[in-house]
Amino acid sequence: MDNENAIEVKNVSKAFKVYFDKGTELKEKLLFWKRNRFENRVVLDNISFNVKKGEAIGLVGRNGCGKSTTLKLLTKIIYPNSGTVELKGRVSSLIELGAGFHPDMSGRENIYTNASIFGLNRKEIDARLDEIIEFSELGDYIDNPVRTYSSGMYMRLAFSVAINVDADILLIDEILAVGDANFQAKCFNKLREIKGNGTTIVIVSHSLAQIEQICDRSIWIKEGHIEEMGLPKDVHLDYLNYMNSERIDRKEREEFAKINRGNRYGSQKVMFSDVHLLDAEGKDVKTIRTGDGVTLDLKYECKEPIEDAVFGFGIFRSDGVWVYGTNTRIDRKPNFDIKKDGSYVVKIDELNLIPGEYWMDVTIEFGEGNPVDYYKKALKFEVVSNITDVGICRIPHEWTLNI
Amino acid sequence: MLKQVKEIYEYREMIYTLVRKDLRGRYKGSVLGFMWTFINPLFQLLIYTLVFSVIMRSGEEQYYLFLFVCLIPWMFFSASVTDGSTAILREKEMIKKIYFPRGVLPIAAVTSGFVNMLLTFIVVIAVTLISGRGMNPVAYLCLPLVMIVEYLLCIGVAFIVSALTVYFRDLQYILGIITMGMQYASPVMYRVNDDRVPAKFAWIFKVNPMTSILNVYRDILYDKVVPNPAELGYAFCLGIIFIVFGFWLFNKLQKGFAENF
Repeated sequence: MDNENAIEVKNVSKAFKVYFDKGTELKEKLLFWKRNRFENRVVLDNISFNVKKGEAIGLVGRNGCGKSTTLKLLTKIIYPNSGTVELKGRVSSLIELGAGFHPDMSGRENIYTNASIFGLNRKEIDARLDEIIEFSELGDYIDNPVRTYSSGMYMRLAFSVAINVDADILLIDEILAVGDANFQAKCFNKLREIKGNGTTIVIVSHSLAQIEQICDRSIWIKEGHIEEMGLPKDVHLDYLNYMNSERIDRKEREEFAKINRGNRYGSQKVMFSDVHLLDAEGKDVKTIRTGDGVTLDLKYECKEPIEDAVFGFGIFRSDGVWVYGTNTRIDRKPNFDIKKDGSYVVKIDELNLIPGEYWMDVTIEFGEGNPVDYYKKALKFEVVSNITDVGICRIPHEWTLNI
Repeated sequence: MLKQVKEIYEYREMIYTLVRKDLRGRYKGSVLGFMWTFINPLFQLLIYTLVFSVIMRSGEEQYYLFLFVCLIPWMFFSASVTDGSTAILREKEMIKKIYFPRGVLPIAAVTSGFVNMLLTFIVVIAVTLISGRGMNPVAYLCLPLVMIVEYLLCIGVAFIVSALTVYFRDLQYILGIITMGMQYASPVMYRVNDDRVPAKFAWIFKVNPMTSILNVYRDILYDKVVPNPAELGYAFCLGIIFIVFGFWLFNKLQKGFAENF
């Protein structure tokens, strides 16, 4: 094992046997031994990755892609069918909070029980006791039986123990939903502090923003293999793009006819034949990061010529709020006629929209607002960001503080 | 294997808290609470005394003591087998969700039975002294030794049965029957060399790993003689073999625990 690495996963594969009809009793085993048919479901297929000491990585992927299985392999709850998993140092996992809690025992006694399951001895627990109690904000309640606690108090206590173990490697599965907003913020800060002290962290989460705030690297697992590994911001964009295109594709297929009939009106002498939203590299995108540059790429077919044509587009938020709209006339482009098939592009340097779902209308008109092809919801896209500002659009700004 | 042993040692606090939780939880809510640990064996002894000195007279003088000094260690063994067999199953929710060396569970189950036996022995020794049976101080020095040997054997057996039960659930019920039968193939109720035991069945006693241990207990507490070193040595070797083999098997099987619930 490389000295710089805290975790090494090499060529790991894992399959689960899914029994159609499993018998664990003697009778069943004897009577139905022929019936023990099963199917090998491959969850992880030859994955390898390393995590350096002090590094924080996030595992992302859709439900059932194998990311939780990966985490379970790291904690040694389950073992791979082939390949090796090596970890160096004490491991603490925030997968199951409050393991071994006994409802009749006091919070203080349960700290000992719970911490001992993380492998701490008495002296080590004694040394951390004050800090754990303080972090849990339980105060005098700490000597009451745990069964009298509210669920929030219970989780706070459990989280406080787990996070104060001082592990070398911390494995986290969707836990930052503990307690109220204040406590969550506190947990998050604690996590940063832990990371600052050089603890290696692996997080499984559906909250990409949380991963981006903590992690140095993201691993996108897709159908049991590693699809992409790299800076969270890059990986997440590709991941969201994939997820959105899957979702939107499905929706589009379902709504195709409806869109064509109901969402398009005008004389249709000229019609859009192709509508695309491209990123800076010219790739088709369905997910955009706030502030990214995009290009609207449109093709049209001309059935009958029209004079004095006007192209336009409008952006709407998913709840129908009209965010922006303009056309060639408003933007004072010279007048033009359409006589044959053609195309045009609209380049947007910075699409400063607040995260959310949006759609875009594209239009061809002639004269003073006579619709030729008014194509509603021609495009749907999502905007993401790890900044949590609010409103409709991000107005560029700068703070100067004179304190 | 040394690595696994070291890891379990690092988790000793977990064993301690599990044992404490079990002992404290056992009589939770009852009025007399922990006193039951003493009241139970005391009344059991009283009943045996009544039955065996009034109704079923036996050749042994003070048969109730003869029986009792072996019955208590036997009950510890039998509890280790039956509680041990479900030690892993009982904690399946924890095993599915969190890592810790799985070996601490059977060890904790056996240890809480062991502590219970030690406490019961206060009653045993008190009664032996009060009843005028008397004691041999030199023989008593061997008592902790045989207790440790039995403890090792029980842990070894618990390793084996706890791991196997995960894969084969019927084992927990089968073991209940086996231990019941084994009690009569052991020196709990009669001596191995008793006239009533047919010679052709003597081998059954030899196969029973508890035979030597129970003989040693009886030597010390009832017959007041220093146990035969060969018998104690044999029991010790048996204990070591069980714990080494048990731990090896347990470690083989434990990898599949989380997937077999």
